[in-house]
Amino acid sequence: MIRIEAMTKHYRMGDSVVYALDGVDLTVEKGEFVSITGASGSGKSTMMHLIGCLDRPTTGYYYIDNQRVDRLSDRRLARIRNTYIGFVFQTFNLINRTTALDNVAVPLIYARKRGARAAATQALERVGLAPRAHHRPSELSGGERQRVAIARALVNNPPLLLADEPTGNLDSRTGEQILELFHELHRDGVTIILVTHEMAVAAQAQRVVRMKDGKILEDRKVDEAFRIELLADRLQAEKGQGKKKPESMEQA
Amino acid sequence: MFTLQVFLMAIRGLRANLLRSLLATLGVIIGVGAVISAMSILEGTQRDIVERFESLGSETITVVPAMAKSGGHSVGIFQTLTVEDAEALANPRNCPSVTAAAPEISGAASVKNMSRNNEYTVLGTSFAYADMFNYHVVRGRFISRDDVASEQKVAVLGSKVAEELFGNAPEINRTVKIRSAPFRVIGVMEEKGNIGFRNVDSQVIVPVTTAMNRLFGSQFVRFVHSISVQADSSTKVDEATSEIKRVLRRRHNINVRAGKQDDFQIYSQEEQRKQLGEVTTIFSIVLYSIAGISLVVGGIGIANIMLVSVTERTREIGVRMAVGAQRWDILSQFLIEASIISLLGGAFGVGVGYLMSDMLEKTTRIIETYTAPRVIVYALVMAILTGVVSGIYPAFKASRLDPVEALRYE
Repeated sequence: MIRIEAMTKHYRMGDSVVYALDGVDLTVEKGEFVSITGASGSGKSTMMHLIGCLDRPTTGYYYIDNQRVDRLSDRRLARIRNTYIGFVFQTFNLINRTTALDNVAVPLIYARKRGARAAATQALERVGLAPRAHHRPSELSGGERQRVAIARALVNNPPLLLADEPTGNLDSRTGEQILELFHELHRDGVTIILVTHEMAVAAQAQRVVRMKDGKILEDRKVDEAFRIELLADRLQAEKGQGKKKPESMEQA
Repeated sequence: MFTLQVFLMAIRGLRANLLRSLLATLGVIIGVGAVISAMSILEGTQRDIVERFESLGSETITVVPAMAKSGGHSVGIFQTLTVEDAEALANPRNCPSVTAAAPEISGAASVKNMSRNNEYTVLGTSFAYADMFNYHVVRGRFISRDDVASEQKVAVLGSKVAEELFGNAPEINRTVKIRSAPFRVIGVMEEKGNIGFRNVDSQVIVPVTTAMNRLFGSQFVRFVHSISVQADSSTKVDEATSEIKRVLRRRHNINVRAGKQDDFQIYSQEEQRKQLGEVTTIFSIVLYSIAGISLVVGGIGIANIMLVSVTERTREIGVRMAVGAQRWDILSQFLIEASIISLLGGAFGVGVGYLMSDMLEKTTRIIETYTAPRVIVYALVMAILTGVVSGIYPAFKASRLDPVEALRYE
C-alpha cells in the first residue's frame, strides 16, 4: 500500500545540516496496523509528515499504491491528503468556533462533495458521537474531542489513518477507549499508522517500527516475545524509579 | 455549493471575532460614509443650481456689468448698463434674434400695509419681464409700458407678499408703503417658486424707472444691475449673443480693435452650465481623492486585522491543509473574509452617509442633498475593491504557509 525507499530528509539549521531522516525503507501493507515509535528527535514526526504527504523528502522514493508521490505538486499532494489519508493529532486540532458536525465536514468541503451533512453525521455515528453533533469542541471532553477528530479523519473514507500521539493529551482510561476505537476501525479494514513515543501504546499495533537518529532501529511484529520484553522493560523502569521516588508520586 | 461553504466559513470566522471584525469595518464605514455624504451634498447643490437655471428658460441670456480690471486686478464693477440699453436690445432692427429684453435692478426694502410690514426684495423691471419668464398675474395687471415711461408708483406683489401683508383681504388699488413711499398695488402674481436664484413669491415688482429714481434712490443711480434678454429660440442664442455684443459696444463706444475691453459680460445658459460643470468637476475630484485616502486608511486597517487573524489561525490553516485544502482554498477563504468586512463596511457606510446628508439637509435647510444611485454603486465597488486589495497579501501569506510548520505553530 505504501512503500518508502532510501528516503532522507535534511534541514538546514544555520550552517549545519540536520538529518531528520537518514535513509529509511518501509513498506506498509493494506490492512496493517503499524506503530512508529522512538524518542523525541528520532525522526518519527518527520516520518509522519512525509507519509502524510505534508512534506516532500530530500531524496528517496515514496509510493502510494505503486504510484510515485514524492515529487508531486502541492495541488496533487493536497488531493492525496484529502482522499487517501485521515489525520488524527495529539492536540485534536478542531476548529473551536464551529460545531462538531461542521468540523467533521471540513474535508468534504475541500473534496467538493455534495451531501456533506449526511456524510458527516454518519462519520460521527461511527465514532459513537452522533448525539453531540451540535456541540462546540469547548463543550466536549478530551476523549469526545478526539472522537470528533477521528470522525473528521474518516469522513472521506480514506484507506489510511495516520495518528500522531492520539492518546498523548488524554488520561489513560480515555486513551484506552480511543485505542479500542482504532482496533474497531482496523477490523473494518482501515490501514492505521500510529506514531507514539509510548511503548505501551505502540504495542497495541500488529507491528512496531522503532526509530533512532533518523534511521529505523528495529521493525518487528508484536508477538508474545515482544510483550514479554516490554513487560520486563517496564518492571525494570519501575524498580529504578521506585528507589528515587515514593510510589504515590509515580501514580500521580 | 463549494463557494457557499467557503462563504459560510468566512462568516463564521468573522463572527468568532465580532468586535475585531466590526473595528475593521469602521475604517471603511467612515470612508464610504464620507464619500456618500460629500457626494450627496455636491450632487444636491448641483441639481438645485441646474434647476434654477432651467427655471430661467434655455433661451434666456443675462447681461451683467463686467468686472473692471486695472493691471490685471479687479477693481470693481463697471456701472454701465442702462434702461435705454435694454430698449435698444429689444428693438428688432438692432437685434433681430432677440424677442424681449428686461432691465433689472433690485434691493431689499421694507414694505408696509397698515400695521403689517416686512422686508422683501423689490425688483425694478419692465413690462417684458412677465412674458419672458412665463410668470403672470392672478389678479389685477402687470406693470405696463406707460408705468415705466412715466415712473408710476405702482407695485405688483408676489404671492407670498400678498398673503403676508393682506391675508385674505383684497389688495388691488390698496396702498402699500415701500421705504415709506406710497405705492398703489395693481396686481398679484401667481405662485412660482424660484426664477433663477431668486424666490419670486416674496418679491415686489415695480417699474424699473421708479425703482431707480425714487426707491433706490439717489441721482447717481442711473444704471441697472442686469438685463435679461430672451432669444427667439434656444437655437438662436449664439446669434442673439453676438447681436447684443455689437449693439452694446456701439452704444458704449467700445472699440475692441483699439484694445478696449468690454464693460459688460454676457452669460447664456449653456455657458453658465459649462462653468458650473467645471466647478463641480473640480469638487468631485477633490472629494473623491479625500474619499480615496480614507478608503486606503480603511484598507490598511483591514489588512492589519487580516494579518493578525492569519497569524492567530496558523494552526487552523495547517489543519485545513492537512485535511486537503488547496492553497487556493485557503486564499479564497481569507479573501472572502476581507471582502465581507469591506462590503459590510461599505453598506453601513452608505447608510451612515445617507443619514448624515439627510440630517444636514433638515437641520440647515439651505443645503440640498441628493444621494445618486450611481454614487452608491461607486462607493460599494470601491469598498469591495479595497477589501480585496487589502486582503490579498494576508490571504496570500496564509496560502503559502508550510503545512508542517503551521501544524506545529503554538
